[in-house]
Parts: sequence; C-alpha cells; structure tokens
Amino acid sequence: MNGNGLMRLFLFLLMILFSFSITGEATFADTSPTIATVQKVSGMATVVRQGRTISAQIGLELYQNDTLRTGPGGSIGVVFNDDTLLSLGPESMLVIDEFVFAPRQGKFSIAIRMLKGTVAYVSGLISKLAPESAHIETPTASIGIRGTKFVARVEGD
Amino acid sequence: MRQWRKVLFIWILFFLLSGCGAHRVKRDLIVLLPDPDGKGGVITVTTQGGSETLDKSGYAIEIKDPNQPPIAPQPIEEKEITGIFGPALSTLPDPASRFVLIILHFERDTTKLTHESKGSLAEILRTIKSRRSNEIYVVGHTDLVGKEAYNAGLSSRRANHVRNLLVSNGIKPNTLFVSFYGKARPLVPTQDEVPEPRNRRVEVIVR
Repeated sequence: MNGNGLMRLFLFLLMILFSFSITGEATFADTSPTIATVQKVSGMATVVRQGRTISAQIGLELYQNDTLRTGPGGSIGVVFNDDTLLSLGPESMLVIDEFVFAPRQGKFSIAIRMLKGTVAYVSGLISKLAPESAHIETPTASIGIRGTKFVARVEGD
Repeated sequence: MRQWRKVLFIWILFFLLSGCGAHRVKRDLIVLLPDPDGKGGVITVTTQGGSETLDKSGYAIEIKDPNQPPIAPQPIEEKEITGIFGPALSTLPDPASRFVLIILHFERDTTKLTHESKGSLAEILRTIKSRRSNEIYVVGHTDLVGKEAYNAGLSSRRANHVRNLLVSNGIKPNTLFVSFYGKARPLVPTQDEVPEPRNRRVEVIVR
C-alpha cells in the first residue's frame, strides 16, 4: 500500500516534470517575435525573461511570456504591436502569457495575468477587430475587455 | 504597573484590529475611464461567484470575495482614481500616434453609403495618404434587423464595397484587410429586430 503510494507520487512528479519540459519547448519556439516595446520607464522596473532579470529601458523589445515588474516608486509603460497601451504603477507584477496580432491569418489574442499592483490599459486594434479575444486574469477574477480604457488594482496574495 | 500592561495590551489589540480593517478596505478594483476613441467600451469582470458588466466611465467594480459575484458598479471620484492610479496613468504611453478610426454609414439593407458618409470617403483617402499607411482595416457591420446569416452576407458586401471604392481610388489592395461581423457587434446595443442607422456601418481603421 505504502509502496504503491510512493510509486504514484513518483509518477506524478515525473508527469509534472514532463509537462514543464513540453511547455518549455513550446514557448521557446514562440518567443522570437517582438510583441511590444517599452516606451516609458521611471524608477525601478525590470523584465523577467526565462529566469533572467533585465533592467527595463526605453526601446527594450518584449516577447511572449515576459514578466514585467516594478519596485517601490517604479513604473513602466509599453506599446504592443496592435497599439494596445499598458502601464504599471509601483510594486506591480504582470505576465504576458499570450499576444498574437496576425491580421493576414486573422489571428488575434491577448492573455495577460496581472498578479499584483496597479495597471492602466488602453485597448488597441485587437479589441477593434476581435473584441472577444482580449483578457486579463487576476488572482480573483477574469476581465474581458471590449475596446476601452481602464485601470485596475490587484492586491495579490 | 499591571494597569499599564492592560492598557498596552488593549492598545496593541486596537492597532492589530484597525490594521486588519484597513486591509479589508483595499480590495481589487477595476475602473472604466473615458475611451480616447470616444466609442463606449465594455468590461466584463467574472469571479468564481458570478459576473458584472462595467459600461459607464467613472464607475468602478470591486471584488470583495472571489467566491462572490463582484460588487455592482459604483461611481468613483476622480481624486480617488488619481490617488490610486496616478503613477500608472502618468506612465501610459501617448496614444497620439495610434490608428485613426473613421465610420461610414449605409442606407437600410443596402451597400449604399449615406450622403454624409460619401464625404468621409475623401477624409479616409487623405488620412491614408498623409500617414503613408500600408495597414488599413475595413470592417463591415449591420443593425439587428434580420437573420444572422443574411446580415453576415450584407456586412461582407458593405465591407467589400468600401474596399473596392478605396482600390478604385488608388489604394493598393495588399494594404487592405477586410472582415465582417454581421449583426454580432452593434455599436449601439439594441433589442433584436430594431432598425438602428448607427449600427449599419463599415469601420475603416487607418494605421
């Protein structure tokens, strides 16, 4: 019985390991194209990319799966390829899980996870061309955005 | 001495409790702001407990408990918005260089432009030329009168009519992106089968 349980745990851990390596591969293939550019920075702001922390500077190009972070008194503003504008206030953290703007293929999607802090958002072309495809997830809610400007505060954990 | 200890204890207890209270007030908050394009936006906030729609600017939705529906939209003061979101808002990049949206309207159930919209065509051509745009989106819509399939066809004919007008005015076909949505995306929400001139439209977005 006990051995069986251990075996199960082992298999479970193996599965987790596998799923990580699979998603790791998939994201690696997807990360190359630039999806957004940093246009404003004040104070402490960084981008975490595949475990590495890069200090955010004006002109820095962003990729899918990048995490944006700001310190106390820090803020950062970015412009996405579809002219979506997004900025973070101090002590904030956000992950760009997915950004697809491919008008020739008719593919549009924005999936952002706001983990904590304050965010301001002005929707771009994606919200005009495919309004149902822009979403922000927070620890407490899912925000569907149809062509607009809004701000949100997330307390986080 | 013991009295002092008691006072100290109550004092600490009071601070702990008020601290908790202050924490509870700082809830997740979503505020709709005036849309720079002037087109009314809509936000839907969904928690495990339910969903609320925010469609008035200057209104806010709060989330008290993720297992409960969000708290219905309440007006929020400008001062509070700047207090909480000032740094984020002041770092928002300038939208001046973004796209231009021009809306063309049509006569009911036709691909015939309204009189005023015929004039807007020249404005679109000027905008494309001045921006040297090679990315122009032509998006067709209808009002809510009639069946979905029929309106999909009508919105497609409207969008393609505008596309052809632009091409015949010298705009390169490979810079034009045509799409259409039938009755699915009214600009002005109405009941089904309600004729609404503002919804009979083609949106031209020049980048």
